[in-house]
Amino acid sequence: MDSVFLMNNLWVGISAVLVLLMQGGFILLEAGSTRMKNAGHVAGKTVFTIGLGTIVFWAVGYGLIYGEGNSFVGLSNFFYGDYTTMGEGLAGSVDFFFQLAFALIALTIAFGGFAERAKLSAYVVFAILFSVFVYPVVAHWIWGGGWLSEHGKQDFAGSTVVHLTGAMAALAATIILKPRIGKYNKDGSANDLAGHNQVYTALGVLILWIGWFGFNAGSTFGVEDAFFGYVALNTQLAAGAGAVAAMFVVWALTGKADIPTTLNGALAGLVAITASCAFVAPWAAVIIGLIGGLIVVFSMKFFDKAKIDDPIFALSVHGAAGIWGTLSTGFFATPELAAMNGGMEGLLYGGGFHQLGVQILGVASSGLYAFVVSFVILKIMSVVMRSLRVSEEEEIIGLDLSEHGSYGYPENMPNQNQNQNTSA
Amino acid sequence: MKEYDQLKSWREQNIKTVSGDSIKLNEFHDRLIIATVHVAIEKVKSEWGPAPARFSFFIMGSAGRSEQSVWSDQDHGIIYQGPEEVNPYFLKLGEEISNALFAVGYDFCDGNVMASNPRWCKSTAAWADQLHDWFDNESWESLRHFSTFFDSRVLVGNEEYLAELKRIAFWRLEQNKNLYLRLIENVSHIRKGVGLFGQLLPNSYGDEAGTINLKEKVFFPYVNSLRLLALWEKLTEPSTLVRFKRLESTYGYLENYKNLFIILLNYRLRFQHDTKSYEKVHLLEVERLTRKEKQELKQMMKNGYKLFSDTRGIIEKGVRLENK
Repeated sequence: MDSVFLMNNLWVGISAVLVLLMQGGFILLEAGSTRMKNAGHVAGKTVFTIGLGTIVFWAVGYGLIYGEGNSFVGLSNFFYGDYTTMGEGLAGSVDFFFQLAFALIALTIAFGGFAERAKLSAYVVFAILFSVFVYPVVAHWIWGGGWLSEHGKQDFAGSTVVHLTGAMAALAATIILKPRIGKYNKDGSANDLAGHNQVYTALGVLILWIGWFGFNAGSTFGVEDAFFGYVALNTQLAAGAGAVAAMFVVWALTGKADIPTTLNGALAGLVAITASCAFVAPWAAVIIGLIGGLIVVFSMKFFDKAKIDDPIFALSVHGAAGIWGTLSTGFFATPELAAMNGGMEGLLYGGGFHQLGVQILGVASSGLYAFVVSFVILKIMSVVMRSLRVSEEEEIIGLDLSEHGSYGYPENMPNQNQNQNTSA
Repeated sequence: MKEYDQLKSWREQNIKTVSGDSIKLNEFHDRLIIATVHVAIEKVKSEWGPAPARFSFFIMGSAGRSEQSVWSDQDHGIIYQGPEEVNPYFLKLGEEISNALFAVGYDFCDGNVMASNPRWCKSTAAWADQLHDWFDNESWESLRHFSTFFDSRVLVGNEEYLAELKRIAFWRLEQNKNLYLRLIENVSHIRKGVGLFGQLLPNSYGDEAGTINLKEKVFFPYVNSLRLLALWEKLTEPSTLVRFKRLESTYGYLENYKNLFIILLNYRLRFQHDTKSYEKVHLLEVERLTRKEKQELKQMMKNGYKLFSDTRGIIEKGVRLENK
């Protein structure tokens, strides 16, 4: 069998594992960014929803994206189980595994909007509905031969498909769930409900960063011409620039070189370059990352002011930076790289407003679809399930105890000794 | 106690008449504190008998510097001329004074700089030993204690005990000029209130959102600079304003800063005379300021940072010359 074929499949298989590893990054990022009383819940529900999301994606998700269908949605290849291979391109199962890992990332991002106050049952139901009605539709539009891919929309690894879609669901959720207890004072001022462990958050970001090489460089779908190295280079530059910009900007604005903001800057750089990594020059990757880092700082402030509680900054990192990343190819896509990877060159290369227009259309339609459908689903859920949110008392004692029966940090919680079943 | 309640209501009735003038306001605080301390002394005398030794009661912090605002916390100590055995009496007196001052409206000191704390209530000999220990250790904490101690003046009793302790301190500094560098280090972390673009940096979260802490961000650079310079020139005066006046003939650059500091003292009172508690008294709500006031505030802060860096330069240069 052709060795390039095998290497391509091996590379995408490895990339799929790297993307799955990003969930470990999210576990640490989210747990570190939230409070101790919710840490076990926040970490553990991620593993659970990966499990649930996997089964749904296998059953229907993959088919809705890549099955034979129309320009709105795919309608075949359900309950995926193809072991045959053509001997060229990617083996179907390798592609399935890679796509599955992406879908799970979007799901985890969406759950960022649930943090610290949603019932476990809300996670269960929304994991299923999001994985059927929201993510596959947008993914089909752009990657599965749907109507946006026909327009030449550039989204190499998923700034829109994965990050913006997840963030829009998170936005719908956080609006419906309302702010956490104690986030806003009566006079309207915001409180900083600081996460309990910046070290976890930083390590989470680094794991995500490493996993991102699977996400972006793996999206080359092969090793031919070793183009994945170029994609990795752009990815690394944008992540670095995002961290640098965010720390500088937050320091200049507030006088404090805030750590959570800096970490969000690195992630914003990564999210922004995700769409454009295969379309732009390295200098443009630096600018895309810098602007991503800048945007995330202002976006965090904006959501605070707008009284939209964004506990782990999913809206700013994946939403605002995802939009910027998608639009960025409309400015910076080079003619050569666009010819290689699809679409047209950007505004700065004499491409006029054509590609930018396509990108705007893609962001607006995908973002709107993800938001509206998620909002409707969550509204119906909140009526049927009476509320998506735990009771006030449960929120105060923490979701570790209310939803799972034990604390992630039992020794650090007050008055729990009476509940311990220790045997001498 | 009835007397304390009377003093408290006297304060409440009269403080408004002086709350717009920093000098009058501080004279008012002095009178109130002296009256309160005398009541406390009498109360302890009635329970424990007359004082077993001569003593003096002194104040530190903003009271020591005559820079109290409408609300203030307490910082004070006792020096007595007697054997160690009488210490319990004066600790008891210190406790009574602390409670009395609290009763008339002065919050307890967070850092426990009060005569009820053995560290701040000692015999003349023990005080001298403690000063030597502070300089021997030259740790961040011990020098912080010394800086607190140095902004002091006697309100009740013999002034000579405190003056003698300050002479000991000057002698120690004379012996080892490098201590000045340590004292600069001790206060060189300034929490900035002006950002890169010259914008004000109010607190962004919580109860204090939208406010600037005047004490930490505006006052401290002035106060710390003038304390350092007073130590360098062996000037015992605790008041920042008096320190300015006494030092400006030697250090011409101080004049402009002095004028800003005078504006600052009254500026603060203008915004704070209707504050209801000590926790809020240092917090300036940025949104209440006019455009011009914001500009003034920025000028005061920027100049405060510059004053500190100029002063630091002068003393460091002086130490280098001495060490040659």
